[in-house]
Amino acid sequence: MRSKGLKMSFIKDAKEIFQQNIREFGMYIALFVIMVIFTITTKGVFISSRNISNLINQTGYIAVLAVGMTLVIIIRHIDLSVGFLAGFLGAVVAHAMVFWHLPEYIAIPLVLGFGVLAGLVTGFLVAQMKIPAFVATLAGWLGYRGALQLATMRTGTIVIPNAAFNAISNGFIPDIPGMGILPGVHKLTLTLGVLVILLFIINSIRIRRKTQSYNFKVLPMELFILKLVLVSALIGGITWVLAGYRGLAWTAVVVLAVLLVYNFIASQTFLGRHIYAVGGNPEAAELSGISVKKITYVVFASMGMLSGLSGIMFASRLQSASTRAGTLFELDAIAAAFVGGVSASGGVGKVTGSVIGAFVMMSLTSGMNLMGIDISYQYIVRATVLAAAVVFDVATRARGK
Amino acid sequence: MAEATPIVEMRNIKKNFGGVQALRGVDLVLQRNEVLGLVGDNAAGKSTLMKVLSGAYIPDGGEIFIEGKKVHIVNPLDARRLGIEMVYQDLALADNLDVAANVFMGREVASTKLGPISVMNKHHMEQETRRLLDRLKIDISSVRSIVERLSGGQRQAIAIGRATAFNNKVTIMDEPTAALSVTAISKVLDLVRKLKAQGNSIIIISHRLEDIYKVSDRMIVLRQGRKVRECPVVGNLDEFRERVVAYIIGARDDFAERGVN
Repeated sequence: MRSKGLKMSFIKDAKEIFQQNIREFGMYIALFVIMVIFTITTKGVFISSRNISNLINQTGYIAVLAVGMTLVIIIRHIDLSVGFLAGFLGAVVAHAMVFWHLPEYIAIPLVLGFGVLAGLVTGFLVAQMKIPAFVATLAGWLGYRGALQLATMRTGTIVIPNAAFNAISNGFIPDIPGMGILPGVHKLTLTLGVLVILLFIINSIRIRRKTQSYNFKVLPMELFILKLVLVSALIGGITWVLAGYRGLAWTAVVVLAVLLVYNFIASQTFLGRHIYAVGGNPEAAELSGISVKKITYVVFASMGMLSGLSGIMFASRLQSASTRAGTLFELDAIAAAFVGGVSASGGVGKVTGSVIGAFVMMSLTSGMNLMGIDISYQYIVRATVLAAAVVFDVATRARGK
Repeated sequence: MAEATPIVEMRNIKKNFGGVQALRGVDLVLQRNEVLGLVGDNAAGKSTLMKVLSGAYIPDGGEIFIEGKKVHIVNPLDARRLGIEMVYQDLALADNLDVAANVFMGREVASTKLGPISVMNKHHMEQETRRLLDRLKIDISSVRSIVERLSGGQRQAIAIGRATAFNNKVTIMDEPTAALSVTAISKVLDLVRKLKAQGNSIIIISHRLEDIYKVSDRMIVLRQGRKVRECPVVGNLDEFRERVVAYIIGARDDFAERGVN
């Protein structure tokens, strides 16, 4: 009986699942469509190993900002200061290594610590002084811009000689040496890719069994298998492309680590739950014994730390600290978050989405650059994509109600 | 029956907002396992009195006794520790979270602790929520439903269920039936009866005299920050309504001699 109606029920299930998760799927589909279009229009250059590796290195420093910005927007605030704060902290890390002669393994944690302090200052203005975040962080935008210019005034661009530091945004993970098979292919990357696919499949099956044992709804078997196949193919594809050039970039490792940690905190811990509760209904959260002030401090402190990380990654990318570092990063991060499905009214959004959003926006830039499209048109296209993403979000939300 | 120690006793509670005397010395007694109706016109002081009890406001004068012991309630956490829970009128729910997350908001259960980071035991919280919904016969198919998508009646039921999920003694409900459909109202009133049957003591604020009449054992009428009537709820609905309205609009006052204003 089941096999007779299998095809019908499969389509019906698929439709239902798709409609329920249209916001999340929409983003992945958008990224996929953009990649396909650019691959065609650039005759395959876009999807080349070298370009994708570059794309990841270019997106990294925006992606980590977007992760922090997601939490800031979830608690109904905004942070405009992160761009120049990243720029300034990039200059500080360069100073620390070049003029104070600190090794990178001390300079980096130091600067991340400065980032936390800067975030706490913003948190103080917003939570304690009750200044609207827009105004408080606009002041930060001006202030850190000045600080960046001060830090680089006498020296101009500070060139960073530390090879290990510069590898963060330019280097790749080492390969397994001395293997004869598959010349020209990065073996360690390939191995990692296979491992990730295996872990993903095992974990999915484990969660599915657990969910079933609790009597919650799970995906129908056919769709579950389809999902496993699609995601595995995606990871496999990316791995193959990356392995064809120089392997997995350190930037990708950093972004993945940030993503894993933040995703865990947001979805599995008290802190994450409280952040979403404050975003959904601050008064209710306060009455339930959640300190809105504390959450505000923590979220801005994390934003400050990630600004430091972004500054480090950008300085590493340019192998120097420049006077204009960080310009407009904040707007790229905010756009990435909105494209990634974060709701402007707070309470809704995922850090994973924002990272995908960052890749969508950077793919547009990269693809249009390869096509030789004038920068003026590029801005207009990105504007359209941002507006369309938010319209899509609002429309699907309204229908869900 | 000899007077047992009341579960809540408020004596001569005063509260001013600037020059406005919101409460001018109100006494209130709630007996164990009793449903007390609190009525009055807008600005009569009903919500203010209850927010004093729930710790949202600090009174300017007066004393509060819980089970005979004098207490100082200065924030909602104090009240919660004493077993007093308030269901706020504007539904203290986070719309973006699911049912289980709302029930356990601020009282999450940990599975492990990694230093300052506590990891949630989602399974336990979901099971407990399911049990709560079943115990109160609240009709919601999944504890993973996002609250935003539920009906007004379901949301009110969750707000009430959440207040009573952790063995509280006193439940205060501020206009629990406002802005609900007729069927939803009768479900909420059923819920009140069920809570009473399970041993809870309840104070209900409502504009809808009919609802007060249906579930309350006793009632207090406030007017301009003073108590003007205290009586058991008896007789038929029409008589009840007529009498109470006279007190609400100020035509009658049982405590007039004390009201030297």
